[in-house]
Amino acid sequence: MSAYPVITLSPLVREIPVTARPDMRVPVRVYADDELWHQIVNDRSLDQAVNVATLPGVTGCVYAMPDVHEGYGFPVGGVAAMEADDGVISPGGVGYDINCGVRLLASDLDLSVARPHLEAAVHDLSRSIPSGPGRNPQLDLAATDLDRVLDDGYALLLERGLALPEDLPNTEAGGRLPAARSACVSAKAKQRGHNQLGTIGSGNHFVEVQVVDEVFEPAAAAAFGLRQGQITVLIHTGSRGLGHQVCTDYVRQMDQAMRRYGIQLPDRQLACAPLGSPEGQAYFGAMCAAANFAWANRQTITSSVRRVFARAYGTTGGLRLVYDVAHNIAKVEEHGGARLCVHRKGATRAFGPSHPETPAPYRAVGQPVFIPGSMGTASYVLAGNDAAMTLSFGSTCHGAGRAMSRGEAKRTRAGHEVRRELERQGIIVRCPSSSELAEEAPTAYKDVERVVEVVHQVGLARKVVRLRPLGVVKG
Amino acid sequence: MTAPRLLPSHELRQHTSEIELHIRAGSLGDLLAEAGRALAEVELTSADCALGGPARPIRVSSSDREALLVDWLNELIFLADIDRWVAMDFSIDLAKATEVRARASGVTLQRAPSRVKAATFHGLRVRDVPGGLEADLILDV
Repeated sequence: MSAYPVITLSPLVREIPVTARPDMRVPVRVYADDELWHQIVNDRSLDQAVNVATLPGVTGCVYAMPDVHEGYGFPVGGVAAMEADDGVISPGGVGYDINCGVRLLASDLDLSVARPHLEAAVHDLSRSIPSGPGRNPQLDLAATDLDRVLDDGYALLLERGLALPEDLPNTEAGGRLPAARSACVSAKAKQRGHNQLGTIGSGNHFVEVQVVDEVFEPAAAAAFGLRQGQITVLIHTGSRGLGHQVCTDYVRQMDQAMRRYGIQLPDRQLACAPLGSPEGQAYFGAMCAAANFAWANRQTITSSVRRVFARAYGTTGGLRLVYDVAHNIAKVEEHGGARLCVHRKGATRAFGPSHPETPAPYRAVGQPVFIPGSMGTASYVLAGNDAAMTLSFGSTCHGAGRAMSRGEAKRTRAGHEVRRELERQGIIVRCPSSSELAEEAPTAYKDVERVVEVVHQVGLARKVVRLRPLGVVKG
Repeated sequence: MTAPRLLPSHELRQHTSEIELHIRAGSLGDLLAEAGRALAEVELTSADCALGGPARPIRVSSSDREALLVDWLNELIFLADIDRWVAMDFSIDLAKATEVRARASGVTLQRAPSRVKAATFHGLRVRDVPGGLEADLILDV
């Protein structure tokens, strides 16, 4: 049971009113069905969302998506918007893995054609893309080149043949946030990132080969270039050690700066500064640079995947970038005529057909949104709805959401059992550590189908296709 | 009667997407050293390491002792990521609320440890107790 008074607005929408705690400035609105709600009240997500509702300049509501779970300061699966002119920006509202996100590649292949070479292709992916703490010795960037990636996104990758011109418009913001300032990224962060482009990292990050298993909305699927039986590749990773260090650096700086701005918070991890202040502007410049780095990282991995598919399938293995979208980011956007700094932490931007940032080819149906399931379970492609602008600042969920700690997951299932079960389902698994496989077992996560059904029913986004995993390279 | 000085000790508690450190020690210097040892326990999941070279100096300054604990661990996380070097033994030369100067010995790994992203301010507490100090800190993993 929630420790706060809760108003049930509809079977899938609950609200903690602004009067629930004296320091709240706005209400908290939660999208969940009964079962997800019971999971949500059993951790500290709601406390954290209420804390976020106290931040200076926060407006509208703080939103909790159906996959919300407790994080550090902000809950994971939370959305909060601050007035850009007199509100704050908080590194904790973006998280350590800045621009962690997902991209989908669509091949020309059908399952029947792909299957004979699938195991070899997945194995080749695992050998070609460094995972875990691995570096990329093929792409150790000189300082000036790293700064170009941080400031300009794909430009260097285009020159080096690691990106195609057609990849740019199908990446959120064209893979480049113009407010990026490499000069605001510390030497430590650059030390961590200079040889990490093209690497997956660890935790729940992965590269997964999938097949389009079910089509829910044929017109939107056609607009996204997706069809039943088609082979796709989903890439989930972020800005690696560079992004972690940017967050660490600026939580520290803002923690020290808050006194100067007279900001008092219920949790120091919410450390923040006015967006217009020197500290706020420096973090925003560094965060945008780390976001550009993350898009370049997923783009470099895309180049590796394309080479693997070319080796396995020749020219028929062409892979088109459907879209790439962040789920840990803060962006200045216009909502209802106001300029807001929208923090999405474990939440995906989901703009509808009429938003100018929805890429032209998708204007009839809305922006593609990708919701990865847990390892071995289905993932979903959704389409953004215009209604989400008023329901959630144009946002939706980002995944299944953890339901169990990593330690509990390991105690529940051994890694070799998870591997055997996935293999029994016909899923090829490549993971360097059985222990890490156990941590990411499907039982450690919420039910992604339930999460997606809630956002579909509420109108935050629409189900377009379901993707069934065939082979996964786990970070 | 004065409480006996606390011996350094730590507990690791797992949460949904984090590890909580609970540390006890007789002094701030011992607390920081014990926090470093707890971090090494999380980072080192195999014997895939070699004893590494001479002790390294580490110096960290912060705004207060809570921030000092976070910054100290984040410096150790940075060194582990960059140099594949996990500090295990600590000689604390100076420990006050806003600064620590230490020398650390550790092990060099074949690959950088990947478990811990950062030490966070979330739920952070350092408090005086009879015989020393207690701290709670959450690691993002």
